[in-house]
Amino acid sequence: MDFGILSIIIFLPMFVAFTTLILPFGAKGTRNAAFLTSIVIFALVSSVYYNFELTGFLQFREHYTWISSYGINYSLGIDGFSLIILMLIATLIPSAYLWLWEGRTKGYWISMLLIQTGITGTLFSQDLILFYFFWEAMLLPVFMIIGMFGTGNRVFSTIKVTVFTIMGSLFMLISILYLGVSFFNEYGFWSFSLNDIVQINNLTRTEEIWLFFGFMIAFAIKIPLFPFHTWLLQTYSNSPTGGVFLLSSIMAKLGVYGIVRFVMPIFPELYKEFAPIFVWIGIFGLIYFGIAAMMQVNIKKMFAYSSASHLGFIVTGIFSLNVFGMTGAAFLIIAHAMATGGLFLLVGKMEYDLGIKAIPALGGIAKKAPIFTVFFGIMLLCIVGLPGTNGFVSEFLIILGAFGFSPTAGIVSAFTVLIAASFMLWMFQRAILSDSGNDVSKMTDLNKKEILGMLPLAFLIIAMGIYPDWFFYKIEPTIQHYLLDILQIRN
Amino acid sequence: MIDFIYVLPLFFVGLGAISLMIVSTFKSVTIRKGSITTLVFLSMAFISNLYNLNTGDEVYSHYPFIDIFNKMIIVDTYASYFSTILILGAILTILIGIHYFEKHKEFTVEFFSLFLFSVFGMMLLVHANELISAFVALEIASISLYVMIGFEKVISKRIEASYRYLVLGSLAGVFFLLGTSFVYGATGTTTIGTIGDMSLNTFATNMNLLIIGGTMILITFLFKIAAFPFQNWAIDVYSGAPLPVTAYMAATFKAAIFGFVLRLFIVDFDLIRDFWDDALVYVIILTLAYGSFLAIIQKSLKRMLVASSIVHTGYLLIAFTSISALGESGASSIIFYLVAYFLSAVGAFGLIAYISSDDHLRITYDDFRGFAKIRPYMAAMLSIFMLSLAGIPSTIGFIGKFYIFTGAIEAGNTILAVVGIIATFISVYYYFKLIAIMYFYRSAEMTNVPPLKGVAPVVIAFIALAIIWGGVGNTLVAYFPGVDLLIDMAKLSYESLFVG
Repeated sequence: MDFGILSIIIFLPMFVAFTTLILPFGAKGTRNAAFLTSIVIFALVSSVYYNFELTGFLQFREHYTWISSYGINYSLGIDGFSLIILMLIATLIPSAYLWLWEGRTKGYWISMLLIQTGITGTLFSQDLILFYFFWEAMLLPVFMIIGMFGTGNRVFSTIKVTVFTIMGSLFMLISILYLGVSFFNEYGFWSFSLNDIVQINNLTRTEEIWLFFGFMIAFAIKIPLFPFHTWLLQTYSNSPTGGVFLLSSIMAKLGVYGIVRFVMPIFPELYKEFAPIFVWIGIFGLIYFGIAAMMQVNIKKMFAYSSASHLGFIVTGIFSLNVFGMTGAAFLIIAHAMATGGLFLLVGKMEYDLGIKAIPALGGIAKKAPIFTVFFGIMLLCIVGLPGTNGFVSEFLIILGAFGFSPTAGIVSAFTVLIAASFMLWMFQRAILSDSGNDVSKMTDLNKKEILGMLPLAFLIIAMGIYPDWFFYKIEPTIQHYLLDILQIRN
Repeated sequence: MIDFIYVLPLFFVGLGAISLMIVSTFKSVTIRKGSITTLVFLSMAFISNLYNLNTGDEVYSHYPFIDIFNKMIIVDTYASYFSTILILGAILTILIGIHYFEKHKEFTVEFFSLFLFSVFGMMLLVHANELISAFVALEIASISLYVMIGFEKVISKRIEASYRYLVLGSLAGVFFLLGTSFVYGATGTTTIGTIGDMSLNTFATNMNLLIIGGTMILITFLFKIAAFPFQNWAIDVYSGAPLPVTAYMAATFKAAIFGFVLRLFIVDFDLIRDFWDDALVYVIILTLAYGSFLAIIQKSLKRMLVASSIVHTGYLLIAFTSISALGESGASSIIFYLVAYFLSAVGAFGLIAYISSDDHLRITYDDFRGFAKIRPYMAAMLSIFMLSLAGIPSTIGFIGKFYIFTGAIEAGNTILAVVGIIATFISVYYYFKLIAIMYFYRSAEMTNVPPLKGVAPVVIAFIALAIIWGGVGNTLVAYFPGVDLLIDMAKLSYESLFVG
């Protein structure tokens, strides 16, 4: 059999992980192999990006039978929305590897490789059981990386996040099985393929609502949406840098992706019906987590909340039911992943050098580490939404989308974006710029590898902010397809 | 002659049991020789059984020596499938346990004779087509087990476990006999199949008597698989038994019991099965709840595994109530899940048995602190078993659960599926706790770890691979059975119940 390019992208990291596990590679050898793998994958993904045609339909499809008696298939494909997340993953991971270059053990690198397999597999799956398979399998390396390499009360944190996430996904599993059985009852053969599942007509409204929320709980926990965020704080602050980087910049986005990929086409009517609730939950999350972030002393915890706050905003965007909001959400997924991912890497370095995370104990870093400060500033301004960064473009679009949804939502969200600006800039001033008299002499500036790792992120943040059209045209047909064909909204 | 081929597996196991009993008086027969002889007989049984099983896509049903036994024994795809599981279970138990048996001085060659007798009893049970023969088979298996549990007679908790199981097990057996007499009173027969035919004739048959009889038999069944409210013996007996015996009981014996009861309830009690459904719903919920509760509070790993086996009984019962006209996958999901659970449990118990036999004793969770550093290979295997028991994707345990819950939803038991999911969710806690303890802590002792030796590590690795392959495997690799084949096989064996 011949594997397609998507399968290679999924399984190459896993293959490398197991090869290095079995062969006597040291930590360095494993790291080099991992980095090489991420570069190869970047090249493969670039070719996928280049060859992607401008339609809203699935491309690069692969299809093999897996469990034929239940119609479960190994079925892959991507559309514009998956494409941008894929491109994001492929860009972020080599950058992160450059940052994690020194002082990690072999187990760390193997976990990172396995996580990459899990996330790309989740992203490509077009079969519900296959999706669930990757969705859960992705959890194991995360469990290991936090538990083995985390800080603080790492064991408790990792069990907590695992139990939470599995709880959510088990509800999703029940919903998936129920859909499969309904499909069988209606059509007389088994299938869990997304294309087939969307054709189910025999569900009552009550059933649909239950199933809808079965899916939504899984995704809401992953994102996390208010009120499913209780795992967030501990996990983010106790995770090792690599783990928190992947959790915040990529895995959280997969929750959003899941909503768009599965909930929207399977329950289009309920999606529209419940949209107001989720728009407001999103805006509420933006405010709630924003205020929570403002209160934090620990810089990592502050970013954890700020990340959740923006994810709330992304959810507002995807439920706004118009082209602005959805495009903005897709754009914010990228912008936020780069900025937050970058910030977590930078803070990870600061923590490593100084051993502290509390804002009052910092200060005066700008003098010690000017390049660090420049990059920190770029990422931060992107989160704040300064014009000229892609953060601005995406936030602007979502606010437009929220206006289109309801003027009140638009006005509220426009104002609440200011919260992020306030706490971020305040933190920047206290922790980095001002001279507080604290001893930060151990802080070093970025080395060449770290600069090299940060450059693509910074470049993209600015390039996408100045000329967003380069990036819009790939995803636009997909968004149109979602709105016109799936949700059947014409405005 | 063809009849003889059909009973060859039974014959080999029985022959092995008797010949080991005879030679066990000789000093020159060591434990090692005894276990190898056992393996030889079991392998012969396995091969001849594969011959019975391997009929392509055809299902069959046959009564060997019908003029002697008069339909007391049946050989069909279903029974052969179960025999395969049982013999395989026995082989794996011996292979993993051989190290344990050699290290513990109390074991003698008689143990292997008893072991083969219990295998013989279990196989006879799944081949039984008549209630009295089933009872005899059940008792052959049980009595051998009573002795096997108490075999290390210097340890008092073994004796206690053995005695407790003997008393309670006999009591449960009495219910079976009483039930049988009620069934006989109602229908005038004890042959499976004929009972079903008689129950169709509602004028001639006293349905109430039949239901009472069925209930009695159900009680024995629930006792033997340790379902609520008959679960209390399980923890003490299972954890009092030597570890290889525990593994054998938890995985293999359960399969044998299900093998017989499924046949009885599907073929004979088809009409009246709905009568128990409501009661069984409560039994299931309580079994899952109580089992989960017990599993959470245990400090000893062995007791946790035993308590969690009660939870797995609950999952199997979910599938048991889902056998109905609506859901065709109920029965085959039990058959599949038994294989899934059997592999994971034999692996987990066997691994612990192996490492406790010469390493220093590992009993509680805390004894496994930093185990991954000391024995990375064993820790990885144990993690795979835990993941499979928890039903995490990429293991056979996930496919088993998928199958059971799909069957439950198909039969309209969505509530039960949700309850099962909640129990699964709780189980993540106590299974992942072990993984966390093995990997995330440093160990106090690092000194002179004895190297792994013997055949057990290889067998354990083989089981772990089978678990992974059962979770992801497909038919892409030619001539190698994947998940698909296992599911089809389970379906075929279910269909063979309705042939002839």
